[in-house]
Amino acid sequence: MTGDLLLQAAVSGFLLGGVYGLVAGGLSLIFGVLRIINFAHGAVMMLAMYATYWLFTLLGVDPYLSILITGPAFFAFGMLVQRIVIEPNRFAAEHNQLLLTLGLALFLENLALVLWQGDFRTVRPAYAAASFVLADALVEVPRLIACAGAVVMALALFAFLRLTDVGKAIRALSEEPEGAMLMGIDVRRIRAVAFGIGAACVAVAGALVAPFFYVAPDVGESFNIVAFVVVVLGGMGNFVGALAGGFIVGLAESLGATLLPGSLKQLVVFALFVLVLLFRPAGLFGGGHGR
Amino acid sequence: MSLLQVDGITKRFGGLTAVNRFRLDVSAGEIVGLIGPNGAGKTTVFHLLSGFHVPTGGDIRFKGVSVVGAKPHEICRRGLARTFQIVQPFVNLTALENVMVGAFNRTEDVAVARERAAEVLEFVGLGRRRDVPARQLTLSDRKRLEMARGLATGPELLLLDEVMSGLNPTEIETIIALIRRIHARGIALLIIEHVMRAIMALSQRIVVLHHGETIAEGPPDAVARDPRVIEAYLGSVP
Amino acid sequence: MAADAGAGLVLALLVVVPPFLPPYFLEILISMMLFGYLGAAWNILGGYAGQFSFGHAAYFGIGAYTSTLLFLRLGITPWLGMVAGGALAAAFGLFAGYLSFRYGLRGPYFSLVTLAFAEMLRVVAVNSKAVGASLGLVIPTRTPAPGDFVFAGKLPYYYVILAMAVGAVWITRRLETSKLGYSLRAIRENEDAAEAAGVDALGMKLRAMALSSFLTALGGTFYAQYFAYIDPTITFGPAVSIQGMLQAIVGGAGTALGPLLGSFVLTPISELSRAAIRGRAGVDVMLYGLVLMLVISFLPHGLMGALPRRPRRPQP
Repeated sequence: MTGDLLLQAAVSGFLLGGVYGLVAGGLSLIFGVLRIINFAHGAVMMLAMYATYWLFTLLGVDPYLSILITGPAFFAFGMLVQRIVIEPNRFAAEHNQLLLTLGLALFLENLALVLWQGDFRTVRPAYAAASFVLADALVEVPRLIACAGAVVMALALFAFLRLTDVGKAIRALSEEPEGAMLMGIDVRRIRAVAFGIGAACVAVAGALVAPFFYVAPDVGESFNIVAFVVVVLGGMGNFVGALAGGFIVGLAESLGATLLPGSLKQLVVFALFVLVLLFRPAGLFGGGHGR
Repeated sequence: MSLLQVDGITKRFGGLTAVNRFRLDVSAGEIVGLIGPNGAGKTTVFHLLSGFHVPTGGDIRFKGVSVVGAKPHEICRRGLARTFQIVQPFVNLTALENVMVGAFNRTEDVAVARERAAEVLEFVGLGRRRDVPARQLTLSDRKRLEMARGLATGPELLLLDEVMSGLNPTEIETIIALIRRIHARGIALLIIEHVMRAIMALSQRIVVLHHGETIAEGPPDAVARDPRVIEAYLGSVP
Repeated sequence: MAADAGAGLVLALLVVVPPFLPPYFLEILISMMLFGYLGAAWNILGGYAGQFSFGHAAYFGIGAYTSTLLFLRLGITPWLGMVAGGALAAAFGLFAGYLSFRYGLRGPYFSLVTLAFAEMLRVVAVNSKAVGASLGLVIPTRTPAPGDFVFAGKLPYYYVILAMAVGAVWITRRLETSKLGYSLRAIRENEDAAEAAGVDALGMKLRAMALSSFLTALGGTFYAQYFAYIDPTITFGPAVSIQGMLQAIVGGAGTALGPLLGSFVLTPISELSRAAIRGRAGVDVMLYGLVLMLVISFLPHGLMGALPRRPRRPQP
């Protein structure tokens, strides 16, 4: 019986891991270009989930379709936030920049709490409960779609970074800030774009998980922590590493939930985090910027 | 009496060999110059001597005891101090407080540290700047501050890393005079410098580093005429 | 210095006026003192050593649970339990600190690791029946027993936390003029340069961690005795960590009076906002977030940095 349970957990966790990878990918991109650890990443995801909720509840827009609205909207939102809050402080000390994003996170999370209060809300379109069985494991359709959607988005992003001028500029700025400036790249614009892309990533991720998650002001916090773990695991600034790391953490978390009683599964994620930070700070796959 | 014995140290970073079987002896009270083209590995040698890097191979003995693997503060405690190529002052502390940090290397007592720091500041000529926050000091003052901080630790050997870079001729003269005063106090000096006339004038002996290896060693005028040294700096003579 | 004279006056008022204040204001003052105290404790590691811990709740929680459990299960007075909690917290701090510093974690990575440690303790507490799990622990305080840190009315609690806050400021002052203080500030400014100047960075940071975590734990015991109820979220949750950190940063990290000044400003903001918008949880923290962003952007040295400074006299 445990074998079935473990398989089930593995499937569920793996699928969620795809989304983790997307969320972490956005965080990693922001770190690569702006060199800041964006504490407000989860909060932006939370806002996007609320947006998805309102679009669904008030206007009947299907969560997946709403991505067409929330994606660009949050991209713009991200650029705006970067321009107003982060860019003016780009020369501040590292820990101050971290505190800045922490302040932003506190502000956004509690704004949501004040506006919409703490009640859990759910987005449940008709297919929310759909599932099928695949080799003794139950596969929930929304999870499958979420994972597929996340992977598609990640691949699109990967292609964008490789093939477009803006994408190349982003990679240039990540690897060699001074060289990039000397090559005439509009650094300010790229920084804003990078943050915007990060925000768009979590917006998409938020819409993808809405059908099987809950929506509340604190929902971003758990994704925040996981995103940090994944990014450290995959290597800070390593976009592809983040994706792979997402699957690993998704699996670890889910298996942990099966094997450990109560909510001790969270220990697995934190322990992984601490261990990687201490012993493999450049990430499991290297290519990260270390400590 | 031999103060520092560097016994064929090597430092590899991945596939790059930055320093290759480097040898050096510094005796008490000596002034030795370390020169070489950019990227020759001079600062890496300083990092190795002061404990910021661990050599991939070879040994470093200071006052007869191996210091390989020792932490920088331990090496400083033993009597080896250094400055950095890019000055690293404690910007939010005053000049006096900066130097006090170094003085604490030899005492636990705050009053004693303060007295010692004040004396060292006077010695380097920054006495009137003692209560100025380091961030408000000019580059030249910061360089002297860094030397003061090193001196306050009570070293027997002081490593100076391009202290004259970015200074105008008058400031360079001030530093040369200061180095002579330090030497007169019996402190040995190992100096990395690009200002040739300064290092030629100050050094009793010069070691030339190129691609991580010693290519020449000897008195200044001999080294200056050495064809290998000329080639290293200027490229091959046709 | 002008700030000192002002502080002295404020202290006098803080001692003399409270007996005449209505309970509501006394409550606010107690909160103010507690947060200022926690800020001062955090400040030793954060402001002076420059190591920004995001997980000081770990020590707060250890303090609160240790003294409470010793009291409830073994009848040991919280006055002693406080010290035990402090010692345990310091031990955990040394453990977490050693791991982090030994493996070279600095800046944001250190912050994240401390957050992880605090969260791990929270999860363990939530899942431990022995410490009451999510339901937490209730401290019976019906009959006043000063020997057991149980008082009638709020006033005695106020004086206790006032004494603790003043003590924390005094300790910070003493730290400033000690070798440890100079070493920590050097480490904060530039750890490598400090090492090169003979400062044992690891040893000094651990000392700061031990002191900081010990003091924070004492605050946890106070909280437990005053509010008479603790649970994993209140004690180990991020809210406590952030509260402590915020007072110090807004007031001025790395200054002795900063945390208390920060608390004098933030606590009224919190109270007023909650009174103005009743029934909507989160207004105060939302403002905290805004204040934090504004302070970082416009007053990076905190409120103390904005005060006019006379040219510095040599230290006594």
